[in-house]
Amino acid sequence: MKSESEIIDVKTLPFTANFIWATGFMMQRFIEELASRKILGVKCPGCGYTYVPPRSRCGKCYAKIEEENLVTLSGKGTLVSYTTGHVALDGQGNFIDLQEPAIIGAIKLEDADSTIFMPIEGIEPRDVVEGLKVELQWREETKGELEDIRCFKPA
Amino acid sequence: MGFIKDERPQTICVEGTWSLSSYHYKGSKLLEQYVKGLKQKKLIGSFCPGCAKVILPPRNLCGRCHRIMDGRKTVSDRGTITCYTVSPAITKGKLKVLGMDPVETGLIKDGEILIPVFVRFDGSDSNTDTILLNAEPKAVHIGMRVKVIWAKEPQGALSDFEGVEPI
Amino acid sequence: MKRNAAIIGCGQTKHSSKRRDVNVAEMVSEAVYNALEDAQVSMREVDAFIVGNMPGFGGIAQPEQWLGDWIGAAGKPVIRIATGGTTGGSVGQGAYYPVASGLHDVVVAVAWEKHSDSKEAGATSGLLHVGLGNLFHAASYGLNLKNLMAMSMVGAAAGVAVYQAVFYMHRSGCTIEHFDMVAAKARRNAARNKYAHLQWPGCTPEDIAETELLAYPFRYGHICPASDGASAIVVAEENLARKKARRPAWYKGLASYSDEENQLQSENFGGVGVLDPSEQRGCWVSAMKAYAMAGIKDPQKEIDMAELYQPFPSQELIFAERLGLFDEGTAWMALEKGETDINGRMPLDPSGGVNATNAIGSSAMQRILECALQIMGKAEEHQVPKKVSNAVAHGWGGVTNYSTVTVLGDSPGR
Ligand SMILES: [Zn+2]
Ligand SMILES: [Zn+2]
Repeated sequence: MKSESEIIDVKTLPFTANFIWATGFMMQRFIEELASRKILGVKCPGCGYTYVPPRSRCGKCYAKIEEENLVTLSGKGTLVSYTTGHVALDGQGNFIDLQEPAIIGAIKLEDADSTIFMPIEGIEPRDVVEGLKVELQWREETKGELEDIRCFKPA
Repeated sequence: MGFIKDERPQTICVEGTWSLSSYHYKGSKLLEQYVKGLKQKKLIGSFCPGCAKVILPPRNLCGRCHRIMDGRKTVSDRGTITCYTVSPAITKGKLKVLGMDPVETGLIKDGEILIPVFVRFDGSDSNTDTILLNAEPKAVHIGMRVKVIWAKEPQGALSDFEGVEPI
Repeated sequence: MKRNAAIIGCGQTKHSSKRRDVNVAEMVSEAVYNALEDAQVSMREVDAFIVGNMPGFGGIAQPEQWLGDWIGAAGKPVIRIATGGTTGGSVGQGAYYPVASGLHDVVVAVAWEKHSDSKEAGATSGLLHVGLGNLFHAASYGLNLKNLMAMSMVGAAAGVAVYQAVFYMHRSGCTIEHFDMVAAKARRNAARNKYAHLQWPGCTPEDIAETELLAYPFRYGHICPASDGASAIVVAEENLARKKARRPAWYKGLASYSDEENQLQSENFGGVGVLDPSEQRGCWVSAMKAYAMAGIKDPQKEIDMAELYQPFPSQELIFAERLGLFDEGTAWMALEKGETDINGRMPLDPSGGVNATNAIGSSAMQRILECALQIMGKAEEHQVPKKVSNAVAHGWGGVTNYSTVTVLGDSPGR
C-alpha cells in the first residue's frame, strides 16, 4: 500500500471566478469626482479625523459620517513610508520580473490624517526618503475612474 | 400577489478576478489501482480493517472509524439503486460546467434527460454516484437492480465505467 | 466555574438579492450598530468581536481585516470563524465561550454574506474550492464527463440535498407536495419578517407547485435565494444582561458535532460511507448534547419553537426530527396539521428561515438571533403567539456534515 500514500501533482483545469465589488456611496462620490480632478475625503464630525478616501463610519470614535462631512483635499502630500517591488504577480500563481523596480508609497495628503498607497514615479529608488514632498499626477483624460490617478511624483 | 420587490440604488463597481486554477494541488495515487481494475472490468473498493466497510470507489481513510483503509476487495458489478434524481430535459444553454455547455459539445443530446443515481454494488457498503442509462425516467425507483455499462475497449480510466443500466 | 451568558440585543440588515448601495464593510457595520442600539450598549462597552462569513465568498479572502474598524473592533480582539454553512452557528456559539469563561463581559458576534459581489452563480469560487482539487485529481484519471455533467446538474439544483430529500421521502412516506407546503409557509412567514428576503404574502402550496422542476424532487419554488445581508448579536454576562434587557435570551445549552462528509467530493470523488445523507448523525448528537446541557429531557414538550437551517424544504422536516421535536418520519404529518405554523403547536422557522433568506455565512447565526427575538418578545409581526421559554436554533453545513445546535431560554437554566 506504500505507493498509494505517495503524493502526486494534480494538473489543474482553467477556471477563473469574476467579481464585481460594490463600492458604496462615499467611495462612489470619490470615484466620480476624480473626473473633475478633485480628491474627496471626510472629516469625522465626532473626532475630526480626516479620512481619504471618504467613508461612512469612523473607526476611531464610531461616529456615523454623512455626505455633508465631505471635504476636498489638495493633491499634495508627504511620503510617510515606501517599499520597492522587483517582482509582480501574474494572477496565475507565478511571479514575473519587473523591467524597472516599482516604488509604492504611503502618502499623507495635506489636511488628511489617513494615508493612501500609490505608485511613486519620476525618482530613482535610492533617492526616495521618508518626508519627501509628492504631488498627484492625473492621467491625460480623467473619466471618473480609479485609474484617473496615475501616480505621485516628487513636488 | 407574488414577491415583494426590494430595489436599491446601484453604486459603482470595481471588477476583479480570482483564478482558481492558479493553485497547485496535490493528490494521492489512490485511484491508480482502481482504474487498473476498471480496465479489467473489475470494481475494486477499499476495505476498512476497523469496521469492515467496503467503500467504492476506494478511499484512504474510513470516515467514521478513522482507520487507514489499506485493504482492497473486488465487488460485483451488479447492484441496487439506493437513491436517484431526474433532471428536466437538458437543452442548449441550460447547463454550464467549467464554462462548457454539454449540449454544444455533444456530450449530452439536446433535450436529453439525465438520471443521476446512487448505487450500492453487491459486496460494498457505500453509495457510488453514477448515472442510469437505457432506462425510462418513470421506471427508476429505489431498489431497482442495475449493472455496470462498461466501455467497449476499457482504457484504464474512470470513464471505462460509463454508467449503469437496468438488469 | 462557568458564568451565565445571554443575548441582549439583535441587529440585522434587510436581506435582498442585491445590496449594491453598500460595500461589505458598510453592510456588516449596519448590522453591528443596529444590534448595539437594540441592546442599549455603547461601542466602548464591547470587549471583543467574533465574526464570520463563508471563506472566499464575494472574492475577499480576509474580509475581517478590511472591516475591523468599521464594526468598532480597532484595538479589540477579533476572531474570525469559518465552518461553511454552519459559520453563523459557530460564530453565535463563539460569542458564548469568552463570556461564559469570564474572559470578556460583552461580546459582539456578526456574520454576513454578500453574494452579489460575485458574478459566479452561488459564489462558486468559494464552494468549488472544497472539491476543486479533488475534481482536478479525478480528471487526471479520465473522469467520466457525462457523469460530471450529471453531478453538476444536481449540484446546480441543490447538491446533496436532492439525494437527501429522496432518502427522506422513501423512508418517511412524505411527498413533493409537502415540500410545496414548507416552501409556501416560509414565504408567507417571511412576509411578516421585515428583514427577510423572499417575502410573498399569502403564498400557497399551489403557487409553489406551479414552478418548474429543477431536479426531482425539487422545484424552482423550493429553492432558497442567494441573499446579501448581515446579522449581529450582543452577548453579555449575567449582571449586565439583567441590567440592560427586560427579558434576555439565555444560552442554556450548545453543541456542535460533525460526521463523515457526504457530498461525494472527497479524494475518491464519488463514494462515501454515509449510506443515507438524511441520517444526519452530527445533528442528532449535537441535539442530545445541547439538551443535556440545557437540562431538557423531552424536547417535544419543553421546546416551544425552533429555527432550523432549511435552505431546501425537505430539511425543515428532516432536521426537526433529528432535533427530537417530532417522532421519526412524522414531521410531515405535523406540517399537514398546521402544527409547524406560526400559531401552531411547534412553530418551525416563523421568520421564514433559510428557505426565504440565505446570506450563507449569516444564515445559521440568524437562527440563533431569531430564537433570541422570540424569547425577548421582539419578533414583531412574526412573534409566535404562545409563550416561548425554550427555543432551539440549528445550523448545518461544512461538506454537508457539520451541525450546530443552540438552546436559548428565558432563564439561565442550571
Ligand atoms: Zn471620529
Ligand atoms: Zn471503518
